[in-house]
Amino acid sequence: MTRAPAPPHREASNLLTDLFRDSLDGGYAAAAERRAKAGPEPPWQRRTGRGARAFALALVGFLLAVAYQQVVAGAAGNSRTRADLAAEVAQRRAEADKLARDAEGLRDEVSRDREQALAADPELQRLRDLEARTGLARVQGNGVVVTVSDAPAAVDPVTGRVDPDNLGRVLDRDLQAIANALWQSGAEAIAVNGQRLTATSTIRAAGEAILVDFRPIARPYQLSAIGPDGIDKRLAESATGKQFKRFVENYRMVFEIKARNGLTLPAGADPGLRYATPPPSAPPSGAGPSGGPSPSGSRR
Amino acid sequence: MIAVLALAAGVVLGLVFKPTVPAVLEPYLPIAVVAALDAVFGGVRARLDGIFDDKQFVVSFVSNVLVAAFIVFLGDQLGVGGQLSVSVVVVLGVRIFGNVAAIRRHLFRA
Repeated sequence: MTRAPAPPHREASNLLTDLFRDSLDGGYAAAAERRAKAGPEPPWQRRTGRGARAFALALVGFLLAVAYQQVVAGAAGNSRTRADLAAEVAQRRAEADKLARDAEGLRDEVSRDREQALAADPELQRLRDLEARTGLARVQGNGVVVTVSDAPAAVDPVTGRVDPDNLGRVLDRDLQAIANALWQSGAEAIAVNGQRLTATSTIRAAGEAILVDFRPIARPYQLSAIGPDGIDKRLAESATGKQFKRFVENYRMVFEIKARNGLTLPAGADPGLRYATPPPSAPPSGAGPSGGPSPSGSRR
Repeated sequence: MIAVLALAAGVVLGLVFKPTVPAVLEPYLPIAVVAALDAVFGGVRARLDGIFDDKQFVVSFVSNVLVAAFIVFLGDQLGVGGQLSVSVVVVLGVRIFGNVAAIRRHLFRA
């Protein structure tokens, strides 16, 4: 029997084997050897050593406590920030909803007053039609409700893992296509999940969510449309309707068209006045410091 | 006995004063903790082996912390991020394991 030749890369393997075999610093053994040779240290040196040891250990404890507090503070800070943000979002959204309700009430008041003022004018009917068309007024009537939703996520039967690539996911493009098909089928007013579409509405995607006029909407998506009789059949016969029927067959997407009577669609978001400004002779009590231009503001 | 008291005193000081760590030093803190633990376990083992040496302990503690912090700093400067600090964690982790195993053998004879 011969001895096996030394393996190549001795340095590297030595480093690792040393690391695993001798986890103690070599300095301790060396110091013990030195002590055995030279005898015990003088008392002053031992006292200093003890003090230094105590100081180093105090430092270690300090370090541990600081690190612990750092971790705890970091975790608490993160979750607190998230909770604060969520609360602020909810609060702001509630405020916006309240303001929108106020605006709607005021708009109702205005239109009532206007109807009284214009009761005898034949233009009133034209105005009403225009308001209904442009989404400025609440409308009621018969029509159709289209429900679209994602296909159920494919779950691997063996591993139970959810397939992240769901081909049957509803995209913003799908809602746009359905809304356009509804207009094409003769719809007079459309609302997506209770949000009225106007001429300037947008349906867009932001990450995973779909936004209608910059407000997120949740699944299942419901497009309600008011239109003439037979709009449901025309939609089903349209190119988009057929395309979505194929999506249902191929990707198990949810797509349903149902005719429904007595739909009520809310008014759309207030478009805001772009060029018109309040007259300068408005009562000063209504206009605050940041209100419209005050009569004294045009001093030259 | 003094050692345990000193350690406890350090923990109490840290808890009482609640010092805020400057943002510059924040990335070095976890590695410094690992390095300090390595020094402490090494010292305990040496004590049980009967070869403890104050100078060696203090020097190993200071140099461990400094070298570990330097490696993290170097990794940041070289742009390899946390990968160099992995080496610190592996080496010190292996040593802590070995020392704790030796301490266990001393204490429980198993």
